[in-house]
Amino acid sequence: MLTYLVRRILYSVPVLLAVSFVTFWGLRITTDPLLKFRNLRNAATILPIQRKRLGLDQPIIVQWWKWLLNALQGDLGVSSRTNGAVGGELIHALGTTMHLVIWGTIISSVVAVSVGVYSAVKQYSIGDYAFTGLSYIGIAMPPFWFALMAIVLLVTWPKVHWDLDQPIFYSIGLHSTDRSGIFNLDYFRHLALPVMTLVVQTIASWSRYMRASMLEVLGADYVRAAKAKGVPRRTVILSHALRNALIPLVTVMALDTAFLFGGLIITEKIYSIPGTGTYFLNALTAGDAPALLGYTLLTGILVITANLIADVLYGVLDPRIRLS
Amino acid sequence: MTDKRKRPLRIVAGIASLAILASACGSDKKSGDDNPTTAPAASTTSSVEVPTGGTLTIGAEQEPDCFDWIGSCGGSSWGYWMAGVQTTPAALTPEKQADGTYQYVASNLLTGEPVLETDPVQKVTYEINPDAVWSDGVAITCDDFEYTWDQVANGEDVYDPTGYTDIEKVDCTDPSSPVVVWKKGAVYSGWKQLFGAGYGVWPSHLLKGKDRNAETKDGYDWSGGPWLAKWTKGDNVTLTPNDKYWGTKPKLEKVVFKIQSDTAAQFQSFKSGQVQAIYPQPQLDVIDAIGAGIPKSKSVVNAQTGSLEALWINTSRAPLDSVEVRQALAYSIDRDTIVKQLFGKVGVEKAANSLNPFILAEFSDQESFAGYKLDLAKAEELLTGEGWAKGSDGFYAKDGKTLGFEIKTTEGNKRRQTTLIALQQVLKQAGFDVKITFRKAGDLFGTDGPNGDFDVALYAQVLTAITPGLCGQFCTDSIPTAANGSTGNNWQRFSDPDVDEQLEIIESSLDADKQKAAAKAADKLLAENMASLPLDPLPNIIIWNETVIGPIGDQAVLGPFWNLNEWGCTAGKCA
Repeated sequence: MLTYLVRRILYSVPVLLAVSFVTFWGLRITTDPLLKFRNLRNAATILPIQRKRLGLDQPIIVQWWKWLLNALQGDLGVSSRTNGAVGGELIHALGTTMHLVIWGTIISSVVAVSVGVYSAVKQYSIGDYAFTGLSYIGIAMPPFWFALMAIVLLVTWPKVHWDLDQPIFYSIGLHSTDRSGIFNLDYFRHLALPVMTLVVQTIASWSRYMRASMLEVLGADYVRAAKAKGVPRRTVILSHALRNALIPLVTVMALDTAFLFGGLIITEKIYSIPGTGTYFLNALTAGDAPALLGYTLLTGILVITANLIADVLYGVLDPRIRLS
Repeated sequence: MTDKRKRPLRIVAGIASLAILASACGSDKKSGDDNPTTAPAASTTSSVEVPTGGTLTIGAEQEPDCFDWIGSCGGSSWGYWMAGVQTTPAALTPEKQADGTYQYVASNLLTGEPVLETDPVQKVTYEINPDAVWSDGVAITCDDFEYTWDQVANGEDVYDPTGYTDIEKVDCTDPSSPVVVWKKGAVYSGWKQLFGAGYGVWPSHLLKGKDRNAETKDGYDWSGGPWLAKWTKGDNVTLTPNDKYWGTKPKLEKVVFKIQSDTAAQFQSFKSGQVQAIYPQPQLDVIDAIGAGIPKSKSVVNAQTGSLEALWINTSRAPLDSVEVRQALAYSIDRDTIVKQLFGKVGVEKAANSLNPFILAEFSDQESFAGYKLDLAKAEELLTGEGWAKGSDGFYAKDGKTLGFEIKTTEGNKRRQTTLIALQQVLKQAGFDVKITFRKAGDLFGTDGPNGDFDVALYAQVLTAITPGLCGQFCTDSIPTAANGSTGNNWQRFSDPDVDEQLEIIESSLDADKQKAAAKAADKLLAENMASLPLDPLPNIIIWNETVIGPIGDQAVLGPFWNLNEWGCTAGKCA
């Protein structure tokens, strides 16, 4: 297992290098690192100095190599927008984003698996049709629209209609001003809508995968054999079928990690959450190449890590799979 | 004198604004039938007794990148409104006059108006109020003026050194009386804005010898204004009273500016009471909402601003390099109807008729473009006179080329989108083939504009100081060239020696009457040449919960929160 993991990590290195170079090259030709200086009234003096300071007078490959060497030492450069260290800013943003990712993944997994199993076991029932319809709506619903509708219907409407002192849910940030911590009511009242926005599409799509996978497993010989032997239905579903049906879903979940991060950009913007999505959006708007590079690298690492975890989970779910 | 032609302005790009510094003076609602920039729903509550205490939460559309208002963060409008104007003391501040225009007056940092001398060199003497101290109790002195001048004039990353680079020295013989002395032969007519709105005065005893940019990267804890500002990045800027402030002490216990960049979500936050005041961009949904009425709220719509949205024309590109074609374009558009459609619900129904914003009414002819009304016969006469003929497709053509051009604007701005679609249809009927292109703000203002890569661009320019004259935008030597490092603001590439002459007078004269006469003459010439076409004044809008009280009103230069120390909450609670 350890050898496998080390080998997979080593395989990831060229992938990350390629990603970083393509991103670096792409950013250099599409963004202007000197943009913020161009509107200064003393731009004519400043621009040559900054061009040299940022190493923009050197070939792209040299610039990338220098960036890479620094990145390997943990220095992702300085944000041209904030003048802060990109590494520190990303870690801080990631800390905030993880609130959404962790809760989002937990809720998506639990709900999607439950719905998928129910739909498969009760195939063609009213409940199955209802969940199928809802999942199509969920998949088709743009997150920004869902987020705004959620705010209108669950924040503004109850507050105005029932003349409440405070809204039931909040739509700005993860805490009220001067409040912090998790596992308190203020936190959950802030967290509810962003997580709901983030998970609506993942629940919809994961539940469909789960249903299909579960149906396939339920029709397998060993399940029929277990039923024929008189194994209780609950045990057949939860112990025999579910575990095997989860394997394809784990693959999809790992691949969807990138999708989840993409969804965060919209979710974090609408709910004013200073996470990696907001960081990316601000960097993109400002043409902040160091920040965008850092974000891309971080996303790449997270996607590779998620896939690695998925590989490990295969072995856990199915002991017949040996990672070597 | 290299920078004298530039005046502080910013370009409004909607939500993803590329805004440059905002200092602004605001006004509240005005009315009058003959006033082109009047809005209705405005009201303030200045007569109400304001209790002390309470926390006010305000929705903020943008977060600054840093608190270095002297450096590149001077371009952050919201940063300046939230923290800059609240913490940096200013020598002279713009004050609204009875006629709606603004003039600089001495602030409480000074004991009186500064004294201007011009012989043998320009010299201004200030007298600092002996009560004026920083938040740590240290007196504000001449050293602070000298430090500020040194940073702006000689600093590396400076937002705009205009006016400061021609200063020879700040004489601090008397610590309480700074004397600013200009270089021999240098004249700076905009001297009143120095050490004023925008940069103010910075604390020498805390920053001298240090890297200013690094010291302010994450905010700062000093203040020479009514508030101390604490910045929690990504979340909020919180103001608490500066106990050492020598002027009117804040009534509120705390003001929280909650960062919320999504306009639609912010509007819902206001309606649900999560924020009690907002200052939204004048987008169509906001205009509609105000027109329909927002329960338990009040609003001010101020159309007498420093903003001007216009069709900025690249006069170096065919076919718009022809004055007659530009005039024909102007005669093909019913600008009043467009403005009425955009802002009619909040009472703004008449197009702007000057390339100077309203707050410079004294130094401009606000009716110089009034002659350009919809007159298709006139447009046809001008075009046919130039050899253009209408083809079977309905468009004019000459030498096998269709009369057409591209209009660029910022993407994601519904108001501008609506404007351009209407314009495209109207101009099609008039025989112009118009294409619309939406650009990222950074591309439009970072490359297209400076490089002259546009035919016509729709955006707003916002004046951030009471600085007369349009030389920065229309003087020949303000055209971006390699010689000036492509930094000129005359993106229109407009060049006319007569206009140059008048605009030069405004720049170089210290005689206000002479400046006014030259400004009006320049406006007339710009209109005759149809240098660009003004559209609307882009009103400023403040909306607040009825529990928020005080003399609330937009200040077209200093922004909406210039007098936040006088705001309060009913019964000490804003909700």
